[in-house]
Amino acid sequence: MNRRVLWVGLALSVPLVAVLVANLGRDPRAIRSPLIGRAAPAFALPTADGAASVDLTELRGRVVVLNFWATWCIPCFEEHEVLARGAEQFADRAQFLGVVYQDEVEKVHRYLERFGQSYPSLLDEGGQTAIAYGVGGVPETYFISPDGVIVEKYEGALTSRALSALVESAARHGAGS
Amino acid sequence: MVPLLGRSLILLSLLVAILGAMLAFAAAARRSAGGALWTRRAAYAFAAIMALANGLMVYALLARDFSVGYVAQVGSRAVPAWVAVVSLWSSLEGSILFWGLVLGAYVAAATWNLRKAPADQVSYATGVWLATGAFFAFLLAGPAQPFATVSPVLEDGPGPNPLLQNHLLMIAHPPFLYLGYVGMTIPFGLASAALLTGRLGADFLRPLRLWLMLPWTFLTVAIVLGGWWAYEVLGWGGYWAWDPVENASFLPWLTATAALHSGLLMERKGILKGWTVTLIQASFLLTILGTFMTRSGVFNSVHSFTQSAIGPTLLVFLAVALIWSVVLLATGIDRLGSSREIGAAASRESMFLMNNLLFVLFTFTVLIGTVFPLVVEAVRGVQMSVGRPYFDRMAVPIGVSLLLLLGVGPALPWGRATSEEVRRALLPPAASGLVAGALGLALGVENGWTLLTVAFGGYALHVTLKQLWVPARLRVGSGLGAAAAELLLGSRRRTAGYLVHLGAILIIVSIAVSSTEGRSTEVELAAGESATLGAYTLTFVGAEEVQEPHRVSTIARVAVRHGGRDLGVVEPRMNQYEMQRQPIGTPAVRTGLTEDLYLSVMNVDPAGQRVGLLALVNPMVGWIWVATGIMGLGGVLALVPVRRPQRRPAASPVAAAVPEGMR
Repeated sequence: MNRRVLWVGLALSVPLVAVLVANLGRDPRAIRSPLIGRAAPAFALPTADGAASVDLTELRGRVVVLNFWATWCIPCFEEHEVLARGAEQFADRAQFLGVVYQDEVEKVHRYLERFGQSYPSLLDEGGQTAIAYGVGGVPETYFISPDGVIVEKYEGALTSRALSALVESAARHGAGS
Repeated sequence: MVPLLGRSLILLSLLVAILGAMLAFAAAARRSAGGALWTRRAAYAFAAIMALANGLMVYALLARDFSVGYVAQVGSRAVPAWVAVVSLWSSLEGSILFWGLVLGAYVAAATWNLRKAPADQVSYATGVWLATGAFFAFLLAGPAQPFATVSPVLEDGPGPNPLLQNHLLMIAHPPFLYLGYVGMTIPFGLASAALLTGRLGADFLRPLRLWLMLPWTFLTVAIVLGGWWAYEVLGWGGYWAWDPVENASFLPWLTATAALHSGLLMERKGILKGWTVTLIQASFLLTILGTFMTRSGVFNSVHSFTQSAIGPTLLVFLAVALIWSVVLLATGIDRLGSSREIGAAASRESMFLMNNLLFVLFTFTVLIGTVFPLVVEAVRGVQMSVGRPYFDRMAVPIGVSLLLLLGVGPALPWGRATSEEVRRALLPPAASGLVAGALGLALGVENGWTLLTVAFGGYALHVTLKQLWVPARLRVGSGLGAAAAELLLGSRRRTAGYLVHLGAILIIVSIAVSSTEGRSTEVELAAGESATLGAYTLTFVGAEEVQEPHRVSTIARVAVRHGGRDLGVVEPRMNQYEMQRQPIGTPAVRTGLTEDLYLSVMNVDPAGQRVGLLALVNPMVGWIWVATGIMGLGGVLALVPVRRPQRRPAASPVAAAVPEGMR
């Protein structure tokens, strides 16, 4: 056993591994959305069935849960149930809205027929609303307070727990100010 | 059906790899011939199962079978078949699956190649290869499962990362990189076997060098292909940005290059055995570190895959491999029986040592620059990045010194030489160096480092061409054919080495010139307006939008004139891929013999007919690609097996006729 080789080897390897361990779980790209704390960009978009139109400014006084999704996105499917149940649970306080992101109308129709949806999904032709909100990928969900301020942005598939907590916090934001 | 079959294949490969590795170590320890036979069979079986699993995934990608997790993640009905196939390595799970394929192929090829080598050493090596294989099979079975079942099945998927779809080079870069990265497993296994048995004899040196040379050649080409792709696709006008993942591919290349050189000394003089083995271990460990960098989500880079669960698993593997290497080295190094005779200061041996020191210094420089932000983050919780200035400031002097060694090293004779001999060897090439420097000055090179690089390049070129010429010269009397035959057959390894040197000189000079002597401008043009850059006049003709099945392209048409000459219209473009947010540009690159004209669209408005252009003139960039071709050729030439009628102890008559100092 050559002890010098052993110690030099360990002196080089251990700190390297330690630094890497210390950085595990960190996301170097996680940057807070600059929109948080600001007025939610206004929009008026048609619903997927074309029957009506939803204007964000008319929803003042209620929490708005704005979920960007697409039919080709697996995590969107994963959170589909969570959102559907949440929309029913918080029906008295919050309006849930879906915004379809980069997709085709027929596919959206077939998807909604197949899996159902308890709240309106809006068509964002040309993606202007997604751009205004700075959507980086789907799913992303924005929580808008009753006074029209973006309180939180959630990236990835929502869990019921996260959803409840964020709806509550958006509701409080309106009451506190 | 496909997910189930795929998962079964993965589990089978895991089983075969684990059992095979255990069997291999047992067979090696007991020197059992039957055990060695079954070890080989396990190696072939692992390769076959991995090939089947990959075939199955390609089938699923082509069939758009969205019930397969990986296909649902990267597949799309909108993309053409070739994109569907290359999607295999476009995302995390598929790339690990592809890794398994490449590893299997390497293990099978090496097992076959070494079937007549000492059985105990080969069994140990196979044990290490299969243990590595077991780790990657484990990744595929759990943390990075490509064959997960998706239910319910969705209609369509998002398609692979559009950066992958944007250029044909992207078909070539990842496979070459994997062939380079994964291939380092083979010399790592051989080095481990040498340490475990305490033997590193002549019979083992040759395969060790061969199996290091092969992945080294792939890695060389892969690194430059990556740079070329960045140059042709990313649109910022350069080919290397010291991005963490670029560094990740460069680090093992540095240590492997050092190992190839020290290995030569080991083969010739029996010295530096432990050192060479260390460098080989480091090359493998750095490939695993690089894999961690790209796939853990810890480093921010254009390459990094999405956050994933495999980071911790990879880190455990890296830690185990590090401890394995250090302990093995500490226990085995003194048994290798390295000679300690180094030789005179002004000899080729000492230049080899200098070369190794510089390569290792380079490795640490890049490693520290890459990891330093993580240290700061861990200690102070502050996000920072180490930028180009650090790397450039450190890399330039090291690179220039290596270029000097490229000239001085091969010029010096082996062993002890009189000062008169040294002077005779070193002085004549200086004339070429001066000529090259003067030429650089005349052509307008202003940067001091670049001028030095050009002069050292001239020096090294002189030495390299002379060394290439020596064996041929003695045969020219018998005709050019005989001279060429001597170069390609008789002195094949030597010719190969100097071809690689030739490419290296050309690359270093081209990099220096292109990164310091270019010019650029950013302009905003309306239709019909012109801008000038050097001798070029660029006129914006107009912009149009083109619909393609999987993307919408906005094409800016720019008429180019150079001096008074009309060079036609080039078409830099912006591509918007379906289901992807950001548009991706394709710059127009007009490659010329001396310089490239590089036009990149920053913004374009087809309705208003306005365009924002980034225009660059990059001198000598094309030569980087040519030089890499030369290096690759050198690598291939070194690898091609040549059958000789019989081996004579005194090599070829030519070698005997060459004066000692020339060899």
